[in-house]
Amino acid sequence: MPVVTLHWGELERMVGKSRDEILSKLPMLGCDIERIGDEHIDVEFFPNRPDLYSVEGVARALRGFLDIELGYKHYEVKEADWKIFVDESVLDVRPRIVGCVVRNLKIDDEVIRSLMEVQEDLHWTIGRNRRKMAIGVHDLSKINFPLCYKGVDKNFSFIPLDFDEVMTIEEIFKKHPKGKEYGFILEGKDRFPMIVDSKNEAISFPPIINAEKTRVTENTTDLFIDVTGFDENVDKALNIISTMLADRGGRLECVEIHYPSRVTKTPNLKAKEMEIEKNEVYSLLGFKLNDDEIKRALERMRFGVEVNDKIKVKIPPYRADIMHEWDIIEDIAIGYGYDRIEPEYPATNTIGSTHPWNEIRDLVKEIMIGLGFMEVITFTLTNERVQYEYLRRKAEGYTKLMHPLTTDHTIVRTDILPKLLELLSYNKHHIMPQKIFEVGDVVVNDVNKLRVAACITHSKANFNEIRSVVQAFMRELDLTWDVVESEDDAFIDGRRADIIVDEKKIGVFGEVHPEVLENFELTMPVVAFEIDLTETFDSGELL
Amino acid sequence: MLSPFEIKLLKSLEVGKEYPISEAARVSELSKDAVLKAAYLLEQKGFCKVKEIVTKRYTLTNEGLQYLKDGLPEERLIELLKKKNNLSEIEKEMGKKELGIALGWLRKKNVIKLSDGKVELIKDVDFKEKDALNLISKGSFDIPKDILKNLIKRKLVEEEEEKEIIIKVLKKPDVELREVITDLTPEILLNRDWKDKEFLKYDIKIPSKDVFTAKVHPYERIIRECRKIFLEMGFVEIKGNYVQTSFWNFDALFQPQDHPARDMQDTFYLNKYVELDEKLVKKVKETHENGWITGSTGWGGKWDINKAKQLVLRTHTTAITIHYLAKNPNPPVKAFCIDRVYRREAIDATHLPEFDQLEGVVLDKDVGFKHLLGLLKEFFLKMGFEDVRFRPGYFPYTEPSVEPEVYVEDLGWVELGGAGVFRKEVVEPFGIKGKVLAWGLGIGRLAMLRLGMKDLRRLYLPDIGWLREFPAIKR
Repeated sequence: MPVVTLHWGELERMVGKSRDEILSKLPMLGCDIERIGDEHIDVEFFPNRPDLYSVEGVARALRGFLDIELGYKHYEVKEADWKIFVDESVLDVRPRIVGCVVRNLKIDDEVIRSLMEVQEDLHWTIGRNRRKMAIGVHDLSKINFPLCYKGVDKNFSFIPLDFDEVMTIEEIFKKHPKGKEYGFILEGKDRFPMIVDSKNEAISFPPIINAEKTRVTENTTDLFIDVTGFDENVDKALNIISTMLADRGGRLECVEIHYPSRVTKTPNLKAKEMEIEKNEVYSLLGFKLNDDEIKRALERMRFGVEVNDKIKVKIPPYRADIMHEWDIIEDIAIGYGYDRIEPEYPATNTIGSTHPWNEIRDLVKEIMIGLGFMEVITFTLTNERVQYEYLRRKAEGYTKLMHPLTTDHTIVRTDILPKLLELLSYNKHHIMPQKIFEVGDVVVNDVNKLRVAACITHSKANFNEIRSVVQAFMRELDLTWDVVESEDDAFIDGRRADIIVDEKKIGVFGEVHPEVLENFELTMPVVAFEIDLTETFDSGELL
Repeated sequence: MLSPFEIKLLKSLEVGKEYPISEAARVSELSKDAVLKAAYLLEQKGFCKVKEIVTKRYTLTNEGLQYLKDGLPEERLIELLKKKNNLSEIEKEMGKKELGIALGWLRKKNVIKLSDGKVELIKDVDFKEKDALNLISKGSFDIPKDILKNLIKRKLVEEEEEKEIIIKVLKKPDVELREVITDLTPEILLNRDWKDKEFLKYDIKIPSKDVFTAKVHPYERIIRECRKIFLEMGFVEIKGNYVQTSFWNFDALFQPQDHPARDMQDTFYLNKYVELDEKLVKKVKETHENGWITGSTGWGGKWDINKAKQLVLRTHTTAITIHYLAKNPNPPVKAFCIDRVYRREAIDATHLPEFDQLEGVVLDKDVGFKHLLGLLKEFFLKMGFEDVRFRPGYFPYTEPSVEPEVYVEDLGWVELGGAGVFRKEVVEPFGIKGKVLAWGLGIGRLAMLRLGMKDLRRLYLPDIGWLREFPAIKR
């Protein structure tokens, strides 16, 4: 989630309240305050509210939330003669484009910084790292309208931003930092999206880089903004940027987009409307609010509201998150104030029950602790080396991660014993004897199994000792069992036994093989057992 | 309190009398070691005095022994002088060496006079030295010091020093000295010997050897506590596999297929795909694309079933909750799950690639957001957090969403998990009838607060020493 840096001076000026008042209310608007500094405050806003990724957006929301300026804010877009022609050749590469002209801006460092930050945050969130949507900001005076948005081949060349030489698209991918960073989005294409002006000079190569010639400077007063992509996310981003610049005092003018088969005008800053049943509000929130409370709450959240039989809501054009009436009902709750809602324990009457899986776990814990073993818990993530090679076992039925982060964690464990031996190897310096156990999940063929494993280590640990434990354990579980010579190479031949119940192997015990001990750098004898409990118990429903 | 040895010793010795240790051992029928140990203990308690005395012993040398038998040279010379006084004859008789000794000694004592090779006896003499040798040979040392000194000088007698420990009882305890019991043995019980005896009182302040408790892991204790709370509140415990389809982990929860949380950056994917139930999938697909009949706009674009088929290590237990609700769509339902989840995160003190998550859901017709807050308040109160407050939050599958915070001494308000009402886009494709109140939190966070831990890695790679020291209840 993006962290937005809000400078106190700017924020206080735009909101019209002191930092203390702002600080006391901000968290209740919906955000996590990361850091409070003297100069600025770093705030993490939620990904559903990209309109709050700029100081302008936050100020607008806070002015409502602090009762300074309530309700819907209208944004005027002047008709104008700016045109973009969309060529057929770009439609299967990056089909959508929208634009806006913003005039009479006072561009200073503050505005440039704010623009760059919001652009970056929108690219990451709505744009999914520029894949779905990318924004270009240009100095209007450097552009000769009308523009053409078209597909070009890799030899098309222009001077990209931050360079002073003409480069082909191919060269940009290889040499330009942005080309290297975002080239993957256009990988495998033979045509590339390009916005050119009436002199066929490039102004932008979306979603990679603008042309140097339209660079925004301190002398810029009028901006042209383009947003390209695939779907309505381009409109959402444009609305957020254009309203934010309008809040800075910019005058918005619309741009006509001429597709081969239709013409649209952007930005479209008309409010969408939605009607909500009051009962739906009462039902979702669990309590009744009167009409005034609903109206007030929504106005504080900057919606336009009429409450009659139904609630008629005008949704501000910068709100990208309203998919459903419940999204508005949440805003009623926020505008009303979460802190004003009286919590009530629900009357829902049901009978509780434990899951058999955990019943077995608890039972096994009781037995093992009674036998003097200390419970440990370990990671279920592990690797082939520890699980199989170290144990001299064959790897079978394990779940492998596609993109492990470290070589330590590449698979999910199929056995607990290796984890216990690993644990003992970290605890050699502690007083002997050590008796530990873990009862928990392993994953075999992508399905969870419940296992218990235990280890005893001290200078005289031997087969007899672990057999006594297994005898006691099986006695407590009231299981008729038998042993056969095991072939498990983790143990010493002739001192290893498979545990058989109903002619099925459910576990193994014995003296751990010296080579295994060496692999774990253990210097004391270890005896151990591991038993699968899912084989002999009904362990309940696994979803 | 006196030990049995001390009592035995005290009983067998007389007050005021000095006993060498061997004597005390004989009288008390204890070993010398036991006597010595008991005597020192008694001395500390003021019942007796232990002192070391040095006595001198004298023994005859071989020469001394011979003179005792044959007589001292001077004695023999006197005897011979009584018969004759020619020195050369006497020399033949006595030998030159002895004659020399005898002459020297007698002249020094002015007993004889020498002239012209003749010896003249001047006066009579008694031989105290001879008597002394005699006495020494018999073990008596009651001999004048000058004579002893003389004998030692003449190397007829050797002096030895002998150290001896002497015990003197100063007083006996006022109370009757009774034998006490140290180890209570089966014999004592059988014979009822304990009846009129006292037990030796031990120094209870001396620490004994450490033994270690076999016990439940402290973290499991917290999980147990959470389970108990849910069960008390009437929730059904549910359980699911660690490996889930992307469908249950993401799509069923209305997470768009291009959502950053679904990136392989954050999720452990498996290179495996499984078939899905077509009927379930169809409604979810439509809901994602256009909202279906949920009243939502949906995410737009195309929903790809192949992405839903891919297996993942579940990133949250909500994958299990939604699956359970899909199978049990009729209210009332209250269910919970506390289990392992996975995130593709680098390990540090507060981030682990796997951790446990707690999650509870209530499905009912007439419940709403304020009931969710009521549940959270009650749950945290049972967890021991008396002050709870609620802030707006965001989760892709809930609306409204809330971030509960609890007040912790020294830390202030601490965010503890998340909660919300499941979106219609989540419940309607599965025909879930009613509203679903859901909340969850990471147990690790709870453990850090409750166990005062600063490093979560400790939980899963336990140091046995730490586990041994960690109390069953942490105050």
